[in-house]
Amino acid sequence: MLVVRRRQGESVVIGDDVEVVILEAGPNRVKLGIMAPRDVLVFRKELELTSQQNRAAAHADTESVSRILRHVGRALPSAP
Amino acid sequence: MPQCLTKYFSTMEYSEDGVISVPDGLPGFDDEHEFVLIDQEAKRPLVFVQSLATPGLCFIALPARSVEPEYKLAVAPPDLALLELDSAQPEIGRDVLCLAFVAITPEGEISANLLSPLVINYQKRVAVQAIQTNSNYSHRHPVLAGEAEPVCS
Repeated sequence: MLVVRRRQGESVVIGDDVEVVILEAGPNRVKLGIMAPRDVLVFRKELELTSQQNRAAAHADTESVSRILRHVGRALPSAP
Repeated sequence: MPQCLTKYFSTMEYSEDGVISVPDGLPGFDDEHEFVLIDQEAKRPLVFVQSLATPGLCFIALPARSVEPEYKLAVAPPDLALLELDSAQPEIGRDVLCLAFVAITPEGEISANLLSPLVINYQKRVAVQAIQTNSNYSHRHPVLAGEAEPVCS
């Protein structure tokens, strides 16, 4: 992984046409400005992970249901 | 009563009052806006989140607190507004249901998505997948065998 130190107002350029600007830098979070062509998709990573995980969850089948039930212990009393 | 075709339970009757609206859709399934919850005694603690529009789409879910008893939910302001809740953080079991979608990883492990639980305001029948941005909860939190505790969703 390339590690670069940047201050507020500075930026990095990725490839020919993507620029990431540090707009604000605080102790726990930074605000980024991203300039990229329309065909470059930019996501917050957690949104992308959620999307991937939803697709994985949707793949389950009847056999998955039995496996999960066995795994969590079917003998549990029911949730109120 | 209206009927719907489901992924796991063939054709089921459902109550229109029980339809959960998901105005934003779900990431990866942006056009899915209506679901019903299927909670069957024999399948507890699992809850099934069945799409009304797509019979083949049904998520298997566990109450987040059955996977992680200390689970802390933080709902971002736009999601609170969508849930028609006031600005206070909702309490699981009182104000909202909080369900984690379950998936089987490529390695065969059973995991629950605690990063982005489906948070349901059951009174208003509206839900959002509330991404927990400021937490360290994983999208693939391991579900330990026999450890899903029965709790309020």
